[in-house]
Amino acid sequence: MSENKKNLILSVKDLEVKFKVRNKILTAIRRISMDFEEGKVVAIVGESGSGKSVFTKTFTGMLEINGMISNGEIWFEGRDLAKIKSDKEWEQIRGKKIATVFQDPMTSLNPVKTIGDQISEVIIKHQGKSKSEAKTMAIEMMGKVGIKNAEKRYDEYPFMYSGGMRQRIVIAIALACRPRILICDEPTTALDVTIQAQIIRLIKDLSQEYGFTTIYITHDLGVVANVADVVAVMYAGQIVEYGNVEEVFYDSRHPYTWGLLSSLPQLGEKGENLFAIRGTPPSLFEEIKGDAFAPRSNYAMKIDYEQEPPFFKVSDTHYAKTWLLDPRAPKVEPPAAVAHLHERMLALTSKGGIYGER
Amino acid sequence: MKKYILVRILKSIISIFAVVSIIIIMIYTLIPSDKVFDNDAGAKKMKGDQLTTYKMKKLEELGYLDYVSGTELCTTAFGEDGKDACLAAGSTQMEEAAAPYAAKGYDIMTLKSGEKYAVHRFKWYELLLRFYKKLFVVDSVNAVKTDDPDFERKYYWGKNPYNGTPALKCSGCTYKYQMYFDGSFPFIHQNKFRLDFGTSFPTSQGVPTMQVITDGQGANKKIDQTFDTGLTESSALIQTSCQYKPKVDHLDQKRFTDNYAACLSFHESPSMVNTSYILGLIALVIAYGMGLPFGIAMAANKDKAVDKLGIAYINLLIAVPSLAFIFFMRSIGTLFGLPDKFPQLGFNDIRSYIMPVLILALLQTPSLMMWLRRYMIDQSNADYVKFARAKGLSQREIFRKHILRNAIIPIVNGIPASIILCISGALITESAFAVPGMGKMLPDAIKMTNNNMVITLVFIFTSLSIFSVLIGDLLMTVVDPRISLAEKGGE
Ligand SMILES: Nc1ncnc2c1ncn2[C@@H]1O[C@H](COP(=O)(O)OP(=O)(O)OP(=O)(O)O)[C@@H](O)[C@H]1O
Ligand SMILES: [Mg+2]
Repeated sequence: MSENKKNLILSVKDLEVKFKVRNKILTAIRRISMDFEEGKVVAIVGESGSGKSVFTKTFTGMLEINGMISNGEIWFEGRDLAKIKSDKEWEQIRGKKIATVFQDPMTSLNPVKTIGDQISEVIIKHQGKSKSEAKTMAIEMMGKVGIKNAEKRYDEYPFMYSGGMRQRIVIAIALACRPRILICDEPTTALDVTIQAQIIRLIKDLSQEYGFTTIYITHDLGVVANVADVVAVMYAGQIVEYGNVEEVFYDSRHPYTWGLLSSLPQLGEKGENLFAIRGTPPSLFEEIKGDAFAPRSNYAMKIDYEQEPPFFKVSDTHYAKTWLLDPRAPKVEPPAAVAHLHERMLALTSKGGIYGER
Repeated sequence: MKKYILVRILKSIISIFAVVSIIIIMIYTLIPSDKVFDNDAGAKKMKGDQLTTYKMKKLEELGYLDYVSGTELCTTAFGEDGKDACLAAGSTQMEEAAAPYAAKGYDIMTLKSGEKYAVHRFKWYELLLRFYKKLFVVDSVNAVKTDDPDFERKYYWGKNPYNGTPALKCSGCTYKYQMYFDGSFPFIHQNKFRLDFGTSFPTSQGVPTMQVITDGQGANKKIDQTFDTGLTESSALIQTSCQYKPKVDHLDQKRFTDNYAACLSFHESPSMVNTSYILGLIALVIAYGMGLPFGIAMAANKDKAVDKLGIAYINLLIAVPSLAFIFFMRSIGTLFGLPDKFPQLGFNDIRSYIMPVLILALLQTPSLMMWLRRYMIDQSNADYVKFARAKGLSQREIFRKHILRNAIIPIVNGIPASIILCISGALITESAFAVPGMGKMLPDAIKMTNNNMVITLVFIFTSLSIFSVLIGDLLMTVVDPRISLAEKGGE
């Protein structure tokens, strides 16, 4: 979307993903185009079921067997990943160039293999190192992600590690081969708040040190504010707003983004009722006409039910897919909760707040 | 860990005794004691008082009751000299002699001849007490009863006459060889501790049940051996099995320098236990050798041709009654010239084993395949597999290095049980091929009301099952790092 296409690492065009569920077809991703800039931390936010995981799974060919890319291109290092068919080719990308960290560290590791084995395994596979070289590298990596006594803990099993420690190991595995892109699919959801903050910090520090691009999927806008450079808001298989983190937080334009921001539990004042977006997302089994968010929006206009809105440019880096930005649309004010976000957010992310640096 | 194992072993032993006790009580109190004689040829030839007396004597031997004959009554009351008068027909002394027993709660019965006898049927707790009292036998230098003042009582080291290795021998014990070594499992053999389950009846009358199960079968087999006296001859006697014999004949004296001349014999064919074990173990190896790779292949190619073929095979074998399957396979075997009865060619012909082993193996494969496939498919949906894929491992690597390790754990747990329980034999297969193994023993023993045999087998089978579960659990700690055996929680 950005016009000055400098240093793009990944470029998605018109991506459409469909799943076959029994005899019906579900369209999980509805023609997304998006560019990822090298070295940036990109956060993808949106309700459950909006397609965040499916979207990023296409980058590593990890769609389930019933899913397929029915349209579009995914450009990475001069090749179109959407065209890759064989697992053999994917093995050159997965884990090596694009790594993924999943939500639940408790179950991401094989319970009956040693931690060390599970790290060395990828090094041996992708870098062709010998067992002992891989061990040295693995121990170094364990130190990098903050495991003390790495040498000794190399031969331990996952059950001997706490959840936070396991997630550090998962990160060590993901980064062992120095990938260019790290996809974090809700990496901290299963952890408690303190550990969450540590893991987020760790990923951020490592991304600066190694210079990889991070794609960060999360429900937690607090996390987004803390780590992201760029935010993409997803709704019903589409990106509906896209921009730098300040732009999306303090100058958001899409009613769905407003809804998301107002429902931030961390922002709720004492005694205030927590805001919830009314209604439910549309069924992805059916063709969606117009703006998918219209039935749930307080700002829906007649056209929203008839025609799909295009992306309107707010700034060079900020775009939103809503008819409200059309010059013909009436002027509307975002809800009050969103308007005062800046001050509230500051309190949360500065020192002392739950996402503050410790 | 050590403590846990100890507690587990203790619990296992308690369970075994609980099961055996229940069986003993059931056998002795629920089955009419008269049924014991249904299959006894001896009893069929007798009638009247002779039969009654015979039955009483046998029941006493079998541990049902305490029987005091008329002669014993009179001897106790009036001594050797007075007993004849007491026993004379119509004597009133008989009443008198019986009175003390009547007072002790014995039933006083009268034979047709007018002679009286006393019986006491044991209550269930007396039965148990008596059973366990004689169950554990520890051999000692004082075991032999003899009036000979020169009889030496001592342990001493000698040699195993067959291989020259050291052997602990004993003079004064029931068994001459207390401990010795040889090349057959379990390599160290001992006669110090024994379990005495009584003797078999009415089949193999008078032979200890344990011996019936473990003794070789078929004709005696002679081997060249040298005896204590220096005599070298071809003989079937097993020297390491010899027991004390009060009276030795001149044949014994030709071989032995002492009274330990009551020996078992070598046989042409293996014992019932070993027969079942040989069949079962080969079948087991084949079953795992076929079932595991097939199961893995099915899981790896889920919903593809191999998988569908496997499922069809599993369904077929499960759906067809095993009896039908066995007979079907047996007739296929005969087409290839294989015997349909084990004894036709006997133990020493490999063709006797092919069909029984194959059938036993095939019957085990469906569940093995099904479970392994199921475990593997379960595991392939696990998060760690998804992560392994994200790491860039190939499907093959994931299967081999990740899924299999996890899926095999529950299978490993069951392996000791499969191995150990081979001993119990496979009832239907062994019957179909008339294999002289363990399979038929329990039903046969029950049919013949061979009480001691039933108890022996129940004891053996229960012990094996319980300990195989324990060994399976111990094995789990080896393959699964998460499991450490401790009373509560981790260590
Ligand atoms: N294998 C599949 N088969 C059928 N439908 C699927 C499959 N995977 C995902 N979907 C559907 O695609 C849509 C997007 O799912 P996705 O997992 O990407 O959501 P998400 O935004 O990651 O949600 P969450 O925050 O809960 O992880 C959902 O409606 C989901 O039901
Ligand atoms: Mg998701």
